[in-house]
Amino acid sequence: MIRTENLTKVYNGKTAVDGLDLVVGEGEIFGFLGPNGAGKSTTILMLTGMIEPTGGRCFVDGIEVAKDPLNVKKIIGYLPEDVGFYGNMTGEQNLDYFARFYGMDARARKERIAELLELVHLDGVAQKAGEYSRGMKQRLGLAQALINDPKVLFLDEPTANLDPEGVREYRELVEHLAGEGKTIFVSSHILSEVRVVCRTVGLLAKGKLAAQGTLEEVARALAPADGDAVRIVVETREHLPAIDDPAVIDIERNGNRAVVRAKADIRDRLSATLFEQGLHVREMRLEEPEIEDVFMAAYRR
Amino acid sequence: MALDRLFNVARKEFSDHITSRRFIIILGLFLVISAIGMHSGIENYNTMLESYSLQLQHMQDLEGPYAGWMPEKPSIMLVFSSMMGYMTMLGGILAIAIGFDLVSKEKETRSLKSLLSHPVYRDEIINGKALGGVGALGFAMALALAIALAMLLLFSVVPTLDEFAAVLVFGAVSLGFLLAYFAIALMMSTVAKESGNALIYTLVIFFAVSSLLPMFGMMAANAFAGDPPEPPQMPRMPQEIVRTASSGGYFTTSVSQSVVYGGTEDPEWKAYEEEMKTYIEKRRLISDISSLLSPQSNYQTIAIAVTQPQIFSMMQSPYDTAPEETTGLAGALGKVWMNIAALIVFPSAFFAATYVKFMRMDIR
Repeated sequence: MIRTENLTKVYNGKTAVDGLDLVVGEGEIFGFLGPNGAGKSTTILMLTGMIEPTGGRCFVDGIEVAKDPLNVKKIIGYLPEDVGFYGNMTGEQNLDYFARFYGMDARARKERIAELLELVHLDGVAQKAGEYSRGMKQRLGLAQALINDPKVLFLDEPTANLDPEGVREYRELVEHLAGEGKTIFVSSHILSEVRVVCRTVGLLAKGKLAAQGTLEEVARALAPADGDAVRIVVETREHLPAIDDPAVIDIERNGNRAVVRAKADIRDRLSATLFEQGLHVREMRLEEPEIEDVFMAAYRR
Repeated sequence: MALDRLFNVARKEFSDHITSRRFIIILGLFLVISAIGMHSGIENYNTMLESYSLQLQHMQDLEGPYAGWMPEKPSIMLVFSSMMGYMTMLGGILAIAIGFDLVSKEKETRSLKSLLSHPVYRDEIINGKALGGVGALGFAMALALAIALAMLLLFSVVPTLDEFAAVLVFGAVSLGFLLAYFAIALMMSTVAKESGNALIYTLVIFFAVSSLLPMFGMMAANAFAGDPPEPPQMPRMPQEIVRTASSGGYFTTSVSQSVVYGGTEDPEWKAYEEEMKTYIEKRRLISDISSLLSPQSNYQTIAIAVTQPQIFSMMQSPYDTAPEETTGLAGALGKVWMNIAALIVFPSAFFAATYVKFMRMDIR
């Protein structure tokens, strides 16, 4: 549904997005991760036809965005970071203004707007958009992104201004929209948010795609290289004796607890040895790096 | 560019303008002041009309060299000349007020990004904004003229067809003047990141082209034309004719001039008169060139040609003793075609610059 080929954007001699190759399948909830300034918003602006790439191409539903931005905009919805509205108009009037660009007749507009305002819990709000709180603006932003019932939804830092209840509602809404078969592209620098809603992720660092796949795949790909070694955490009730196994590389001991670095997964052999020695094993597991730590390390690189 | 999208933007902009407090207050002030000016203008017109009727009655009794001389009937366009002064001030402010934050406010509130995410081209947005602004200024102008005409009818002054045409031309020229400042404001709104800066830039240009430019034009004219020729040293009492024309504008004195010269058969005086004529022509040429860059000067020149053709003729040929034949509205406009062209080119140039800037604007 979304595809980029060597997508590049240079601003005043500085490369914001550097040869990005990305593929997001239909119906996916894709998390676009990266620290601030990594090029996430610039990528979205190119994908939504709002700026032209310096090099490369990008496609949404098979349409090359730079060549036919208007048709792309007809099938996408976009919630910008810090979304803005016309402060002298109500939420309904703002939505009506945007809806007119899709050639919807008055009745269709009225029905769609009522439906969306109810969806984002802004129905019955008579205030002008200029008097909205940031959270209300964010919710209205979601409604304007959905005004044309888009196939693809681009959400840039969607939970940035939401309170916990708003975040919960947003997650439900994303799940609901994904259930309708929409492709959702969520850009965020908050891993905890992305891992809750997204099925696949891509990590952008300094304008380049560092990794793409499921969270686990990305974490594995980004984990620091340690050869083929595995780390086994062992804890026994009694003091841990010396472990004599040819696969063991080294052991970090800490009383009854140890982290065994081995050439292979020797948990079966290790547990048998400890059992034979009459020891009570409290814990034995493979230690995987925390995803947050992996991503943080990737952010810092 | 699709017209439906263009009109969607223009409709919204027009609606925003005519419902904004800022627009309503300035327009209200303009209309009230114009109406007061119109009222006194109508009273003057009625007085002049009475005087004209009396003169007509006296004509029948006249004999001798003045027999057959006909006084000139006052025109209701005199009433509109008072509006010209308010237009250059309040009209200019109104045009700036609706244009200075058209784009910058959208950048500040980030609504431009939301708008651009929908299927609309940038040129449709900027053209729609311009069209909405032109519509609002047209609405303001139409309202002002409608009130003026209503006041005329209220005082039982019915314009002739020619006068009505002149009123419409005056309205169109006034709108052209307003568009000049609207275009500057729109341009600055596109260039500046913040509305405050856009307003300051616009006011700087407003004062530069309305006050500084004509002033520099006069200085340049004085510098290039040199000293006026000295009259011949001979005691005499020539038949002096003093003719004065004044624009009555707020910001410019470029069209104000007084010329004193004598008429004689003396060859020295004739030579002096010729030198003086050449000197004045030279000065006016330089002054006029700089005035073409000032919407105020152009507007006042055209408006005077439309509303006060006699005064305009005197301004054009201050050393001619014989009054020029009245050439009608078309003739008057023909004499100021350069000013008309300048008044069209000025906003067009700023709109073009705005268009280019907006199309290339970084919307991050």
